[in-house]
Amino acid sequence: MSIDLLIDRTGSLSPDDSKTHLRFPFRLDRECANLHIEFDYSPKLLEDEERARELLDAAFELYVEPARRAAARANAERYLPLANLVTVSVDDPNRYRGACHRQDPMQRLHLSAVEASPGLLPGRIEEGEWTLTLSVHAIVTESCSYRLKAWATGEDNE
Amino acid sequence: MRWLACELHTHTLHSDGKQTLRELADGAAKLGFECIALTDHNTMSGLADKDAVERETGLVILPGMEWTTFHGHMVTIGASEFADWRLAEPGNLREGTAAVRRRGGLAGLAHPFRIGSPACTGCFWEFEIRDWSDLDYIEVWSTTFAAIKEDNRRAFELWTSRLNAGDRIAATSGRDWHEQKETDDPLSVTYLGLADESAPLQEEALRALREGRVAVTIGPLLTLTVVEEGDNGAVYALGSEVPLASGAGARQPLKACADLRASVREGLWELHPQSGRLVLTSNKGDLLELSVHLAEGDSRHSFPFDREGLLWIRAELWGVVRGVHARIAFTNAIYFERGDGR
Repeated sequence: MSIDLLIDRTGSLSPDDSKTHLRFPFRLDRECANLHIEFDYSPKLLEDEERARELLDAAFELYVEPARRAAARANAERYLPLANLVTVSVDDPNRYRGACHRQDPMQRLHLSAVEASPGLLPGRIEEGEWTLTLSVHAIVTESCSYRLKAWATGEDNE
Repeated sequence: MRWLACELHTHTLHSDGKQTLRELADGAAKLGFECIALTDHNTMSGLADKDAVERETGLVILPGMEWTTFHGHMVTIGASEFADWRLAEPGNLREGTAAVRRRGGLAGLAHPFRIGSPACTGCFWEFEIRDWSDLDYIEVWSTTFAAIKEDNRRAFELWTSRLNAGDRIAATSGRDWHEQKETDDPLSVTYLGLADESAPLQEEALRALREGRVAVTIGPLLTLTVVEEGDNGAVYALGSEVPLASGAGARQPLKACADLRASVREGLWELHPQSGRLVLTSNKGDLLELSVHLAEGDSRHSFPFDREGLLWIRAELWGVVRGVHARIAFTNAIYFERGDGR
């Protein structure tokens, strides 16, 4: 069985990368049976509680009316621990193939003509320009490393 | 008019929910809902089972997607295909809502005052809204026991302030339902008024939301019409506009008719027996109120009123819920044509 490695990238995200999309285009030279995606990021959680409370205080300043901020601070516990959140979405040469909006920091995703991981649409793994997008919703740790890997297997007639 | 009991904000395993569409639909049917909108985060892949689950459960399932962006969450319902949430920037919301509408969908603000990042990423609404007609509705009641929550109070006030500014926009509830978990909290129901009962339910439900034939409650269904006095007086439903003059040319006296139906979703909600307060409110504040007995059959209450200076009216039902004085139900608005041609 042939394996086409399409993407194998590592990188590091910082809080400044929050609210940005990172696009990873790749070309698939032939139609395949399966597309596999592995995406990991670490750390998931901000262990430094003092820092977490600082970040929450800043959010309460922005999002809570002045008279209610003390109450929000007193209930800050419910938001702890704070977490990094990065999600993956997939575009094939013709259309959006879905997103995996969930908290898991280790995602093993798969697409084929007949089935796909939850969040993604089954369909042909066509030749052409594909794009994986990492949507960096929030980075709360000083840095967060990630690895994104994608490969295709199988002939289209397998 | 048939009022369809809906839950308009739900998630499955296709995003961060912990339920399949079938589990969600079964849970909704058990709670007396007749219709749900599936609004997974940034994907519509969960709708693959829609037809089968509709057949198996008898529920109407509206296609939807929650735009889970960095600058706000926007619930969209009814679009036939995907519109790209990743292009959303704080200043270009109109392009996004236009794309949703071109695909036949409606767009609403989801939980606009929920505390945002990093507590809940993107949850607080930070999109700039230049023209409120770009949006179809505001989810003013989010999660369970919604009436007592601080972020919902702000959302409700936002809605009222837009009505006062002359905008015409619907208001809904949405549980933001992620898993089948028992709760004792009161659950909100958004009722959509189907004007044409012979038309396909999905189309009629969307039309009701688009046109503001919407009533929200944790128990009895409260609806409102404006009726012109006299023989053959016109009747104006929720979301519609009462014109300046009737067909005959002269202004007819008007009355507001509030219908309270405690018979809906029988046995699936509970309020302790009490006298509630039925209020007719408007851009001029509360117009009229009367005491009504809650949880006792169906009743109609009519109030003559003067339309002078009115932009809109709605009905609200207030009472004591779990020991807290709270809004139990509210209707969407009925609007009044103004002399300046608006």
